[in-house]
Order: sequence, then C-alpha cells, then structure tokens
Amino acid sequence: MATFWNRLSRLIGLSSPEEDEALERALRLDFRRRCALFRQLVNSNNRALEVMSDMEEMLRGGKPFGLPQVRGMCAQATANVFKMIRCLEGMTDGRYNALYDRLRAVQQEIGRHVEGGRDPVPGPLVLGLDAIGAADAGEVGPKMANLGELGRIGLDVPSGFVITASGFRRFFEHASLSAEIEGIIRDRQVDRLDARYALSSTIQELIVAAPLPDDLVQAIEAQCQALAETYGDEVRLAVRSSALGEDLPDASFAGQYRTELGVRLDQVTRSYKEVVASKYGVAAMTYRWNRGIPDEGMAVCVGCLPMVDASSGGVVYTRDPVHPSDRRLVIHAVPGLPTAVVDGNVQADRYLVSRDEPMRIEESHVPRKQTMAQLDAMEGVVHVPLQDSEAEAPALAPQVIIDLAEKTLAVERHFGQPQDVEWVVDRQGTLIFLQARPMTGHMPVVPEPQDDPGLPLLLEGGEPASPGAACGPVFVVRKNADAFSFPEGAVLVAAQALPRWAPLLPRASAVVAETGSAAGHLANVAREFDVPAVFGLENAVSVLDGNQMITVDGTHGRIFSGCAEELLASQAGKGPDFMLGSPVMNTLTSVARHIVPLTLLDPESPDFRPDFCRTLHDITRFCHEKSVGELFAADSGPVRKRLAKQLRYNGRPLKYWLIDLGNGFTNPPQDRYIDFENIASRPLHVLWEGMTAQEWGGPPVLDVKGFASIINQAASNRDIEPAMASSFEVKNYFMITDTFLSLQSRFGFHFCTLEALIGDVTDENYASFRFKGGAADLDRRILRAELVADLLEEHGFRTELRQDALLARAEALPRVELEEKLRILGFVMIHTKQLDMVMKNRDMAIVYEQRLRRDLASMIAKSRQ
Amino acid sequence: MVKPISVLLVDDEVDLLDFLSKRLARRGFLVQTANNGRQALAAISASKPDVVILDMLMPGGMDGLATLGEIRRLFPHLEVVLLTAHASTEAALRGMELGAYDYMVKPVAIGELVLKIEEASGARGPMTSGTRTGNRYDA
Repeated sequence: MATFWNRLSRLIGLSSPEEDEALERALRLDFRRRCALFRQLVNSNNRALEVMSDMEEMLRGGKPFGLPQVRGMCAQATANVFKMIRCLEGMTDGRYNALYDRLRAVQQEIGRHVEGGRDPVPGPLVLGLDAIGAADAGEVGPKMANLGELGRIGLDVPSGFVITASGFRRFFEHASLSAEIEGIIRDRQVDRLDARYALSSTIQELIVAAPLPDDLVQAIEAQCQALAETYGDEVRLAVRSSALGEDLPDASFAGQYRTELGVRLDQVTRSYKEVVASKYGVAAMTYRWNRGIPDEGMAVCVGCLPMVDASSGGVVYTRDPVHPSDRRLVIHAVPGLPTAVVDGNVQADRYLVSRDEPMRIEESHVPRKQTMAQLDAMEGVVHVPLQDSEAEAPALAPQVIIDLAEKTLAVERHFGQPQDVEWVVDRQGTLIFLQARPMTGHMPVVPEPQDDPGLPLLLEGGEPASPGAACGPVFVVRKNADAFSFPEGAVLVAAQALPRWAPLLPRASAVVAETGSAAGHLANVAREFDVPAVFGLENAVSVLDGNQMITVDGTHGRIFSGCAEELLASQAGKGPDFMLGSPVMNTLTSVARHIVPLTLLDPESPDFRPDFCRTLHDITRFCHEKSVGELFAADSGPVRKRLAKQLRYNGRPLKYWLIDLGNGFTNPPQDRYIDFENIASRPLHVLWEGMTAQEWGGPPVLDVKGFASIINQAASNRDIEPAMASSFEVKNYFMITDTFLSLQSRFGFHFCTLEALIGDVTDENYASFRFKGGAADLDRRILRAELVADLLEEHGFRTELRQDALLARAEALPRVELEEKLRILGFVMIHTKQLDMVMKNRDMAIVYEQRLRRDLASMIAKSRQ
Repeated sequence: MVKPISVLLVDDEVDLLDFLSKRLARRGFLVQTANNGRQALAAISASKPDVVILDMLMPGGMDGLATLGEIRRLFPHLEVVLLTAHASTEAALRGMELGAYDYMVKPVAIGELVLKIEEASGARGPMTSGTRTGNRYDA
C-alpha cells in the first residue's frame, strides 16, 4: 500500500496554484498529525524521565520506600517508553520498529529483578523442634533455627514444633491472600502512619478470617496430639513468630510480631493466624517500611512451644548494648515469665557479669518490682502483684547468674558473635533457653555525651536504654491516637516502654519511659534507629509533661531542661541511613541499571541505532532525537520548505520559524517570511510582550541565537556534556493557531516545552512550561530551576521540581488572567537564560533573584495599566 | 457549550468506582461504571464512551487484559487506559501491546487521571484532536 508520502510525492512537481494549494493543505494535515504524535511522545518522554529522576533521588537514600513503589515506577517507565516507540512508529512509518524488541529485552531484565522471586520448592508444612538446626533457617526462620541449634549443643530448650515457611505459603496460596493484600496496600498511601493504622486492621482481619488448608490443619493437629501425649491435654503453648528475613544484618525486628502465650491445644490454629496476621501490624509494617524490607518473601514461620512454669526469666546480652566498649555481660531478670522484660512494662533487675574466668557479678541493680507475669491454668498469662519481700528481692540467686552467664557465653562462642538471649528458670531450677539471636549491628557507636552540660537537671538515675543525646519538645503519648499528632523531632515520653510506640521512633528525637529496660523491644528499636532512650525513670511523665524543651542523655540516663548545645555538639550528625544496603534499595539499584543510565550519547555515531539501546533511557533518547529530526531537521524537506515561515520583526529576520496549524496567520505569507503584524495567534502575541518587555541586563537577548538558547545557550558547547550532542541544527519552531501556541525547543538531550491555549472556555485554558538542563554543573542548574520555580509560584503557577527539571502550570483561568501568566513566562524565559552559569556564587544569585523579582513586578504593573 | 467527555470506569471494587466517579463527575465528565468485563462491553455498545478506564485485575473469567482485547477487536478506535494495583513491567508491556492508550498505577492522583482522560480523548490542545497513531490516517 502506498504510504501517505508516496502519494504526496506523486503530487510534487505539479505546479498549478490549485494543485499547489492542495499539496500545502495535505502537508499541513499530515504535519498536524505528526505534531500530535510528537506532543504525545514528548509527554511520555517527560513522564519516563520523571520516573528516572525519582529513581535517582531514591538511590541517594534517606527516604523510605517499598517494593510495590519500585515495581510501579518500573511499570510506568516501561509503559511510557512503549508509548514513545508507538508515536515514533506513527511519525516514521515504522522505520524504527526494532525498538519494540529492544524494549522487550530491557523489560525482561527489569522484570527478572523486580518481578522474579518464584516461590521456593515446597518443603514440610510443620517440623518438630528436635529435627531443626541452624541450617533450617530458610524453612523455620532464624529464631527457631537457632533454638533448635541450642538444643543440638546440649542446652535445655523447650520441645514443640514449627509451622514452616512452606506452611505459611500454603496458607496464603490456599486463601489467595498475597494478591489481595498487595492490592489493598497498593491502593493506599503506605508512607503515612495514619493510613498504615487503617490498612493494618483491614489486612489482619482478612488473614484471621481466611480458612487454613486441610493438609496444614491436619499437620498441626498431629503435632498437638504428640504434645498432649507427652505433657497432657492441659499443656499451654507459647505461639511465637520466627519470620524469614529476621536475620537480616542490622535489623532486629524486635517486638514487631505478636507472641501468643498460654495457648490451649485447641486454640493453636487460631493463634497461628493471629501471629501470622501480626506481620501486618502497624509496628511491623512501619518497621519494614523504614528499613526498606519488602513485605513479600517474608514468610512468617511460627513456633509452638510448651510453656515453662517459670520462677524467673529475662534477657542476656553478651555485650552491653548501650556501652558497646564495655565487655561485660548484661543480664536483665524478673520473677516469673520474661515477657515483662521484653514488653517493657515493668522494671527489671540488672546484673553486670565479667567476661573473664572466673566470671563474677560486678554490679547488681535490683529495683522494686510491682508485678510478675505468671502462667495460670485457666486464664493463660496473668500479672500478679508481688508481696513486699518478693518485690524487693533479687530475681536470681548469685550461682544462677553465673551459670546463666557461662552458658550464654558458650552460645556466643558457638555462633561466633555477641548474642541476645531469652531464658527462663523453671520451678525445678532448670535453666531453659527460649531464644538466641545475634546482636551485631544494633550496637550503635556514638560519642559519650560530656558529663556536665551546664543545664538544670530534671531527672537522673534512669536506665540508659539507647546511647547518645538529643533534645526536643516533650510529647506525652498515652493512647494510640496520640501517634497521629506526634510531631517530628519531639521527645516521646510514655508511662511504659511498650513496643507499640516503636512506629513513632523514626520521627522522635529521643524516648523516655517510666518503666522498661535496655533489654526491651522498644529499647532495641531505639538503638537501631539511633534514638537516645532512658527507661525506668520514675515519675518521668508528671515531671516532664508541660516542659517546652528537654535534652535526653541516653548514655547516662539523665534528663536536662532546655537544649544542651554542647551535649548535642559531641554527637554524630544524622542517624544511620537504613535504606542504603536494604533489600528494597538493592532491588532498586539492580533495576535502575536497566533504566537510568544513558549510554547512547552521540547521535552522529554509527552506533546510534535501536539495537544499541541498552536502557530505557537510551530508548527515550533515541525516540526523542529521531522524532525531533522528523519534524524539525534541516533536511525534513516539505515541512521546512512549505510550512515553516521565518519570523520577520521590524523588517529583520529572526531565528524563529512559525508553522500555522490553522488560523494562525491573518494573511497567507507570500514568501518564506511571516511578518510579525501578520500573526493572528493571540498567545504568541502575549508571550512576545513578556519576552520583549525589558532588555536583559546580561548576555544578549532576542538575538540571532534563537529561542532555545534563551533557556540553554551554553548547551551548544559540546565539551560541557557529551549527552548534549545533537545531529540536528537547532531551530526554534512555534506551532500556532489563533488560540494556541506550542514551542518545542531543544539542544541535544535538553529541551524546553511551552504550550498555551487561550480561548473563551475558561476551563480549557492553560499554560504549561517545562524545562530541564543547562550548561552548568548539576548544583547550579538545580539552583536556577529553584529560582525559576520560586518566581513562578509567587505568580500563581503550580510547579513541580525534580532536580534541574521544572514543570510549571496554570490552568482553568479566564482569558485575561491567563494572558498575564503567559507574559510572565515570556519574561522569565528570557531573563533566566544562562542564569545557571552565575549560580556558582550564592550572593550573585540573590542579587539576580531580587532584580528579577523587581523587574517582573514592574512589567506586570505596566501591562495592567 | 462544549460537549463533556464521557468516561466508562470498569472496576470490581465498588468503593473505588464510587469514589472516582464522584470526583470525575465533579470535574465535568460524564461518568458511567461497570463492575466487570461483560458489563463493560455492553455499556460501550450502548453508549459509546470517549474513554474507558479499565482495572486489570477483575474476577469472573474476564480480566482486564481479556476485556481490553475484546474492546480493541470490537471498538478499535476507543481509547482504553489501564489501571492496576499490581504493577508489573510484564503486564504493562502486554497491555500496551494489546493497544491500551496508557497504563496507570493505583493509587492514582485524580489530577493525573483527568489529564490522561483528556489526553486520550483528544481534548487537550488543538494539536491532539483525534490522533493516536498513524494507522488511522494512512488508510
């Protein structure tokens, strides 16, 4: 089939005026079609580049994001690049259709990183604890694998079983939970805490209501039956999580998942679902979000262990987490079950034990303990008040402390790194280990705050729970709803050091609580996020409430009134950047390699071909270059010869070409020039008024350099940035109608777009302006973009900034108002040209900004007269 | 008086349909809704909307991509924007290859959706009127 151009070529050579006119009409029609495609292509190009800028920003770290977000960005970039190829296909009769294959190849590379992750081969749905060792972490989670390992090295551990990662996947697959949950999460804004609260309950309800598959229920029941035969029907279980990925370096996951205590055998399946659902608890979701840990792939394995009737219990750290240089072991102990220590709702004994043989107790801190947690045959776990004598007594006898320290040190030796170990002593005096995990990584190294900051001391004697010093206004949290109003940078003050406050830690400057210890979950998370914390500080709420500003010294357990600058000055600057090195960041880094880099630099190289496009950026570059060539290149024949008319102003030809898309000229031009007086496009007239309102004080303006150089004059220097090279002669084309104006102007990779529609229908009116790039280095280009954005915002434009890329829009305004906006754009385009080059000097930049602001105001005032 | 752009929203989530249709109606669009692919095809036959916004994941044997295929077969000039909560480059590419006008990821900003609908319907700017690819004009 003959193409449009074939048909046109048959027309060329005809010379009668009617035929000539017919040819011009046909050319104009086809040009309009190509313009429309070009415009779509540019829009898609902009969107794809925006995604790339966002990715670059995310790659610098500092801001949390999730895997669904990465996946969404990849998909958007892919769709936009596809659209560009489709537009280019329409503009060039399919000349570059090989690009589709390149896109497919790049997409497969991206998909491999971000959409891969096929589930591993299914294993057993449940496993007995006696069959488990450290090597089984992939199936039972690191916590249960370590526990099995402790049994293997001869320590006492509970018996019991684990519902495995395969069991978890079987459950989710059976109830189609994965897709449903991902959909729910994707629909909401997970980056907001209040949204997370709503999300959390929706998802947890969904999980608890979902049916378990029969084979999983049967496997669990068989294990329960075996426990009943050993311990009797009345045995109570602890049902606790052991999630995959909990062994990630530097991520403690302390207290993120639910543990159900005192569970009867007939309640195990229900408790299992509750623990699994806690994967989507607010604390856990917030934690993963802030640490860049993806939701998916994180199977929750669940251990079901007969509970020990404990006389005492607690936590041992084989290194002091608050003073890591101290080599002593730190033991936290309470009478009864250890849950009180990790939940942070009571005070605990603290013993410091020397590491070297013979081990000895070097310090004992024995506070008064109000209650203890106990297993009750009917009620499960209950908190009972302690008699005076019990409340004051140490929770452990000295020989038990030494025995515990020796065995825990053996655990450290076995695993080869400092350990965080949970234990109980049963009524028969047997020491039983419940959990061991490495504590490497959540031991922050911060400088010691100085002794006397010279401020009024408000409280002291608290237990240092997370080292360092910070100041901020006091904010007392009493109920969950307080979390919504918690201000960034405040000091979180609570009656109890409960894990439920953990989601606020990334926003808190410090934490203070009346109960709790360094061994609790909240302390763990505080140390992880480098937030100083002091726990076990009696009367903290009543003393601190109402204080404007306090300084928390987490190293020494003290609180000062006011902000102790000296104390803070000794602190390391910002907290750790958790995104760097996180699993989600690693995924982004892998996919970005196929999206962001530009390797196709030189359009004049023989390698500037579809099959040399290696990244999505390469494809966008190729499409943009070829589409510009198609419309505007010097050799684009009929367009240039027939349609584009050079602008003549006061009899002098300027380097602007105008293409009439309909009613743009008052009289048809007789030669290759169009005189300014013959332009009927209202938007162009108005823009021109802004452009010519005032001489530019700097380098020459409105000279023969052309309109594109207004934005980016120095870009023609190819030595500055290779990506700027372009094979096309730079021309500045306005496409106009009586009510419409479009300017596409580019230098190599950089370009600017201005569009305006000013008609009688207010709702349809708009002006948009977009530019990116410049000749200076990135910092200066960003400064210039910020300055332009500021100026335009001051005049009612909506702006979006991404590094040096600026988009400004004004829309749905009556004609007169929009005309003023267009005048402002004309002015700003002229008077900010080359401004990036002077941005090296901030003082100079301020002078320019003030001058621009003043001149712009006076231009507006004049035009209103 | 400018004729309003008519939009058909197809999604099995009734809450989302309700939310989006109210917002779009407030912006002057003529909005219809359908809960599944079959309903969508019937609605298109009956009222010939300018643009279809189509969810990709729908139950009942006819998901978004299958619906898209049918729309392209029966109404080749109708623009379809895909909307999904489960973004993937594979699905994006397949949808675009099947002839979707564009592909958007939930949650979608209403302003962005409006722009996309206007763009797809050819309403924004005189240069875009009725043009999508070269094929229509080469015939």
